Amino acid sequence: MTLLNLSRRDWLKLSAAGVSAVSLSGWLQVLASRAAQTPTKHKSCILLWMDGGPSHKDTFDLKPGTKDGGEFKPISTAVPGIQISEHLPKFAQVMNHAAILRGMSTSEGAHPRAKYYLHTGYKEGQGGLNYPSLGSLVSAEIGKPDGPMPNYVSIGARSYGAGFLGIHHAPLLVADPARGVENLKPLVNGSHFDDRLGLLHEMESAFYREYKAEASADHWTTYQRAVTLMQSKEAKAFDLSLEPSSVRQAYGSSRFGDGCLLARRLVEAGVSFVEVTLGGWDTHQNNFERVKQLSQQCDPAMAALVNDLKQRGLLDSTLIVWMGEFGRTPRINQRGAKPGRDHYPRAWSSVLIGGGIKGGQVIGKTDKEGATVVERPISALDFLATICELLGINWKKQNNTPIGRPIRIVDKGATPIAELLG
Amino acid sequence: MRRTILALPLALLLLAKAPNVFGAPLDAPALARHIDEAIDACLRVEKVAPSPRCEDAEFVRRVYLDIVGHIPPAEKAAAFLDSREPNKRAQLIEDLLASNEYGKHQADIWQALLLQRTSDNRFISFDKMTQWLEKAFNDNKPWDQMVRDILTAQGDMDDNGAVTYFLAHLTPDKLTDNATRVFLGVQLQCAQCHNHPFTKWKQDEYWGMAAFFTKVRINGNPRQIARQGGTLVVSENGKGRPLPLPISAKRVPPKFLQGEQPQLASSDAYRPVLAKWMTSPQNPYFSRAMVNRLWAQFFGRGLVNPIDDMHEGNPPSHPQLLADLSAQFTASGFDVKQFIRALCNSEAYQRTSKPNTSNRDAAPELFSRMAVKVLTPEQLYDSLVQVLGAPNPENFRRRQGVAAAAAVRLRNITPRMVFVAFFKGEDNAEPTEYQAGIPQVLRLMNSPQLNNTTMLAPLLKSGKTPEQIIEYLYLATLSRRPTAPEMQRTLALVHKHADEPRQAYGDILWVLLNSSEFTLNH
Repeated sequence: MTLLNLSRRDWLKLSAAGVSAVSLSGWLQVLASRAAQTPTKHKSCILLWMDGGPSHKDTFDLKPGTKDGGEFKPISTAVPGIQISEHLPKFAQVMNHAAILRGMSTSEGAHPRAKYYLHTGYKEGQGGLNYPSLGSLVSAEIGKPDGPMPNYVSIGARSYGAGFLGIHHAPLLVADPARGVENLKPLVNGSHFDDRLGLLHEMESAFYREYKAEASADHWTTYQRAVTLMQSKEAKAFDLSLEPSSVRQAYGSSRFGDGCLLARRLVEAGVSFVEVTLGGWDTHQNNFERVKQLSQQCDPAMAALVNDLKQRGLLDSTLIVWMGEFGRTPRINQRGAKPGRDHYPRAWSSVLIGGGIKGGQVIGKTDKEGATVVERPISALDFLATICELLGINWKKQNNTPIGRPIRIVDKGATPIAELLG
Repeated sequence: MRRTILALPLALLLLAKAPNVFGAPLDAPALARHIDEAIDACLRVEKVAPSPRCEDAEFVRRVYLDIVGHIPPAEKAAAFLDSREPNKRAQLIEDLLASNEYGKHQADIWQALLLQRTSDNRFISFDKMTQWLEKAFNDNKPWDQMVRDILTAQGDMDDNGAVTYFLAHLTPDKLTDNATRVFLGVQLQCAQCHNHPFTKWKQDEYWGMAAFFTKVRINGNPRQIARQGGTLVVSENGKGRPLPLPISAKRVPPKFLQGEQPQLASSDAYRPVLAKWMTSPQNPYFSRAMVNRLWAQFFGRGLVNPIDDMHEGNPPSHPQLLADLSAQFTASGFDVKQFIRALCNSEAYQRTSKPNTSNRDAAPELFSRMAVKVLTPEQLYDSLVQVLGAPNPENFRRRQGVAAAAAVRLRNITPRMVFVAFFKGEDNAEPTEYQAGIPQVLRLMNSPQLNNTTMLAPLLKSGKTPEQIIEYLYLATLSRRPTAPEMQRTLALVHKHADEPRQAYGDILWVLLNSSEFTLNH
């Protein structure tokens, strides 16, 4: 056993056994050098969560010239024949890396239940269980168990948690991307903090020596991981102030743009799953003005994200998913002076980008009103199985709940979208 | 090897009508002795020597955490350590059971078991149920009566907090899952969609149980009431909408689990019939489930473990003891405090959690030493508040931001709720398993709110010597005095920073609050 391989409980056990050759400063050095090992390239996923349910007819599935087609004009993209909203011009230029899925068709039409369903693939409350969200599943399946960085980071909103997979796969929340992770900096300066840790380490060793409690060893392991994160170079990934202002501008200088930039930095640092939330898509009223504003936030951020990842050679290993919990009614409602569109799960659009997919295509088709899927319908299960497949996750695998109930990663009845897997 | 000794005929396990082996109910000391005889007999067979009695410091901290849900204040810990009263442990158990904090702690535990937050109940406040539970436990209402009161609860949620149980679950299948799991210790929910894989429960039996809840009605709109005031009313066949059955539901008449199909007229209320059957002294599941749950609260694991998964494939470690305790609990009139009194007065409960050479590798289900339990988020919060003082509610509101502020008003969200939600581990986690992750640990180490050291100011002005201050900090956090090497080490720190005493004591306090010893109930 070399020092570099020490993990989990070894440190406490060594200290408890009286191995005093390992000084605390030695321990800190080990942490630092472990943190310096560069992660091997692996698949990552960035979920751009459009909270509230974006109007498909006003973003990626326009129906110009039809009744209730709306105000927006379609524009051409880098891929001949594919058109999207005029308010997504920058994204149109990277369409060759993206696939638009116009046949999304799901069954939940209320926000909380639909969000739960699209995040977990299970109906809320089904079988009395609390199901893990996509981010937690990715963390458990392809995340690095002992790296300094968390495997699932949620930016802008809490999102959904680990359910029965346990707190180790719960998201690390970054409420405001410009401020980074809460409580990452010690309250006292570096050497002072090391002094505190030194004293804590002595206490931990003494307690473990007497009680031999697994919980104590796990407690110390978690502290080690947190301190490693605080002191690691990867933790700098959370600090957006290290980016030139021109880069932040390219992402649109919005909170969502900052979130996408942070997502890129985290993927570069080896984080497996990052979710970035953009809220406000619940446009029952004033649909067109609001969708325009939201599109204008999405557009530069998504285009810059795709370009940056490509430039860094990370686009093929990073799957970007753009989606909300459902689409919006094909009809424009008659509520108030500035009308909107209501919830609509029956037919809607999502977008996949990078991650080794066959880009530059549209899969599925709705009728001329955008009301029903007439070609290639995609269920929530199909969709989630596709994401897993692209990330190299065996979605038929069963996880066990704490009482030993086997639960599949994606429930039975899913068929991945073969057209994407080019 | 152990299996051969502990295994028991399956018939006894599930069907035991649990004859009262003692005739009249035993008093708490006698029941405690009976527990020790059963546990020790098993240890002798296994040739495992148990750990000795714990020290007073371990005991005072443990029994405070287990009965009232937080560590003792420094003064109480010191007084207990210094007392020469031979009967002081039994007396402390009495005092804590008589404290109103006992009900508060049980309400925390039972609220988490009975009510889970989901999107469907997001406008329902759980406060009334918590208050109802707190009072019921403090009044020591017999357990069968409490369960009947919950299962048949009706009326206005402001008058009867127990109706929240129905407002939180909202469908017959969720009610069935929860009631059978929590009150009977069995996991029926698999049978909602298919026959249970490792028990004899069939899908029809699931829906037979669920049918007892099909007459419940709820009057009032939760969202509207949360915003504009008013109240929700639960009834059986009264005004309002009935609880919706899922499309997949099987329509079968009410039938008891593994029991008969009661003759019910269409005008009869169903829930009282179910409640009577469930809480009957003849019901083989009811008493056993509570005994096992209470045992696990205090010993860190059930006699059957996982605790709410009692079936033939998951036998008890001490079958006869479980049968005897169930019979005793029934015979006592389902007296919860009396049962806890017996548990806490047993030698098995009062063992140190330190292993010895004989039991170092012994299986935890032998109870040869006390399990080391992890403080629940509620215990951790209340213990931190005990040491540091309560956070300023104004700062809390400011930090919540605008959107959250609405939710804060809507459901009366407190700093404690936010802390508990943040630190909550997985459902059904073992109480001995450390559940916090990196974000939680970062908050403990580095958040200004949890590192508020204003409590040091009066201490520094009190005229106490450094030794006395250090001793106070140890008593306040770990309920013990520092060992000689610890005193030497921390004194050196204080002397090193003689010009900045608050920093030195702040360092000591930080280390104590972040230690395993603080976060574990050992």
